Amino acid sequence: MTLTLVKNLARSCAVLLLVTFATFALMFGNGPGIARAVLGLNARPEDVEREVIALGLDRPLLVQYWDWLTGAFTGNLGESFYTGQSVTGALSTRVPVTLAIVLITLVLTAVLSVLLGVTAAVKGGWVDRVLQFLSVLGTAVPAFIIAIVLVFTFAIAWRVLPATGYVTPEISIGGWAASVTLPVLALLIGSVASAAAQFRTAVLDTLGRDYVRTLRARGISERHVIFRHVLRNSAGPGLTVLSLTTFTLLGGAVFIEQVFALPGMGQLANESAQINDVPMVMGTVLVTIVIVLVVNFLGDLAATALNPKARTR
Amino acid sequence: MLRRTTSAMAGLAVTATLLAGCTGETASDAGSGGKAVKDTLTLGMNADIPGWDPSNQPGYQGWAGEAVWDTLIKCDAYGKAEADIADTWEISADSTSFTAHIREGQKFSDGTAVDSAAVAATFQYSTSHGGAQGDYKGIKIETPDPQNITISWPEPQPMIVSRICPVKITTKALLDSGKVNDTPIGSGPYVLDTAGTTRGSVYAFTKNDNHWNAAGYPYKKLVIKVIESETAAVSALKTKQIDGNLISAQSYNEVTGSGLDVTTMQGVTTRLLLTDHLGKKIPALGDLKVRQAINMVFDRDAMVKSLYQGHGKPSYQIFRPGSDAYLDGLADPYPFDVDKAKALMAEAGFADGFSIELPTMAGQNHETLMPYVTQQLGLLNITVKQVPLSGANAIGDLLSGKYPVVLWQLGNFGQSLQDIDVVVRDTGYWNLSHQPDATVDAAWQKILTGDEAQKKAAQQEINQYVVDQAWFAPMVNPDGFYAHSPDVTIDKVSDIEALTPKLRDFK
Repeated sequence: MTLTLVKNLARSCAVLLLVTFATFALMFGNGPGIARAVLGLNARPEDVEREVIALGLDRPLLVQYWDWLTGAFTGNLGESFYTGQSVTGALSTRVPVTLAIVLITLVLTAVLSVLLGVTAAVKGGWVDRVLQFLSVLGTAVPAFIIAIVLVFTFAIAWRVLPATGYVTPEISIGGWAASVTLPVLALLIGSVASAAAQFRTAVLDTLGRDYVRTLRARGISERHVIFRHVLRNSAGPGLTVLSLTTFTLLGGAVFIEQVFALPGMGQLANESAQINDVPMVMGTVLVTIVIVLVVNFLGDLAATALNPKARTR
Repeated sequence: MLRRTTSAMAGLAVTATLLAGCTGETASDAGSGGKAVKDTLTLGMNADIPGWDPSNQPGYQGWAGEAVWDTLIKCDAYGKAEADIADTWEISADSTSFTAHIREGQKFSDGTAVDSAAVAATFQYSTSHGGAQGDYKGIKIETPDPQNITISWPEPQPMIVSRICPVKITTKALLDSGKVNDTPIGSGPYVLDTAGTTRGSVYAFTKNDNHWNAAGYPYKKLVIKVIESETAAVSALKTKQIDGNLISAQSYNEVTGSGLDVTTMQGVTTRLLLTDHLGKKIPALGDLKVRQAINMVFDRDAMVKSLYQGHGKPSYQIFRPGSDAYLDGLADPYPFDVDKAKALMAEAGFADGFSIELPTMAGQNHETLMPYVTQQLGLLNITVKQVPLSGANAIGDLLSGKYPVVLWQLGNFGQSLQDIDVVVRDTGYWNLSHQPDATVDAAWQKILTGDEAQKKAAQQEINQYVVDQAWFAPMVNPDGFYAHSPDVTIDKVSDIEALTPKLRDFK
């Protein structure tokens, strides 16, 4: 078990270094181009040259990456080329917004997809067919379309929830809940539809196993069979689905944050990448990778705990 | 099980509804106050501000900068000087120096006095910071006393007013501290409310009641929200979360149908820039007949109707109506006539056409324009290869001269001298091939030395010359739209670029 954890950690560190260096190399392709973009259209060549030096873009790529990496280890991710704002300062307000949406959606996805997946598998018949139809529909319709429909319905027509914006919990818990409700719903519909279908398949597969027939033959209650045995043995594929859902949600958050004008990390990454704000992009990439690696790590940990066979891999 | 799930989802919706009811941030009560109260003006902007360095502030959607900083003087929509920190001013006869008297009793937000030392420090700072450093190279500043200042250039500056207007005045102490991006210090009509501000998302301001022109800014509070998506901005407008936002033609009907007002502006001209006048890269472009033929294959009326859904006007010159260079009553010099255009190409010896590369970039409306332009040029056997530009190299590539022909919706300033300087003179960054021209140079000399009437005549002479020489193929002056609540009044747009209302225009 310990060896597995150490291996996972080492693999995570290697991925972290690889991805950050690759991103850095891609972003730092052109110092004068970045400096000109910072200064604007009417900047003169001599001013651009001075800006290149001022931003430290005249140094070798490896030196710049090493400085960034050592800075990152001490918590200093540099400052935005464009706004002068510290990257950690920007992330401190952006990450909670994205995490709130993604984590709430993830928890609700876990609960609802298990409920819907098990219901569909166990009940069968028209219940299963309806849920499968809804699942296909939910998966097929893109999140941003769902978001627009939700805004039109709940914000414009009914006026019960805000169309845009984010309220921090420090200002108002109710305001915070209202501001994340529609974004969460927009992401939730697609993720539940997808995860519930996977759970349904896993539960159906488990229900067909010999030991389930044996348990039923021994007169053990259906509720006990489902919740103590079937669900536990279907959890492996489910955890994988939820792990993948996290990555999908992080990607989907970029669009959702735009539609709802939420000041999240996805929006920051998007706008920073468009203007080649390298320090900001690196900051958002770093946080995203860390989230992905942590989720992956926890998923592996849970799978290992549930399935002893996994410990030996 | 299904029943429980349904109940859970219904519960979620009910909870959300109840929560919304107690937030104070609901659609019904967020946003501005009524017309009579003039409490809060909430504006959306589609890109974040580039920090708080006063030397690096945008004119486009620059409300945050206009809120916190004053300038020595302001420019009106046509580049004429208006009072601000300075209540009187004088420009030397040779346009090399600007002498101003700073009104007394003004204070910065840190409580220090607005004086000539602060103005001098800020102008000096502009010589080495921001994107317009070149405009202030070699300036000399004299401050005989705290209320008077003279700023001089080594060469005549026909656009001396435009050089003075953008410089946002702050304190020497802040500039020396190296922390210009942290919190702005200015003497502007509003003061940044740091508690209500989240950088990159929401900027809140409270009114500076001691501002010399406090009556010109009727709102007690100003809130600016960063909303990148137009879909989100329109939703926010419709639910009164914001009072105003720029919109595109695609949202026009939806916005007006929702009872919102729209202020229309015409600040750009869609045009082809044919900058290789000497035919050094593309020999055919060195022939006037070819450039005239290119002008003749665009049906400007049809473009307005089809490509801009009627939101615009046909354009036959690149200068803004009302500006000094604009030629009133100029008839279409190159009416739509494909046969005549083909004949001109044949006369020039280019009946078989040639190839050009046209750079394209996201957000420039090229998706709509490029197919039409490509098709029309194809009638002259001119083959268009589109070259997408993006990333860090985009601006450098665009201005490098690599592409002597460009299709762009370029702004036209209210002060036409700026257009001449930027797109007509060989030194201008939008004159991509930078080829010298004796006629333009001679007219520019008249601008440098002449009186006001002579300057205006020289500008019109340049305009007529570039029309005759077909240096551009102007097509359409498309409308720009600022959507706003009926509770907000915008009687005029003071922006010299006519791209957005200025903060002082919101009443």
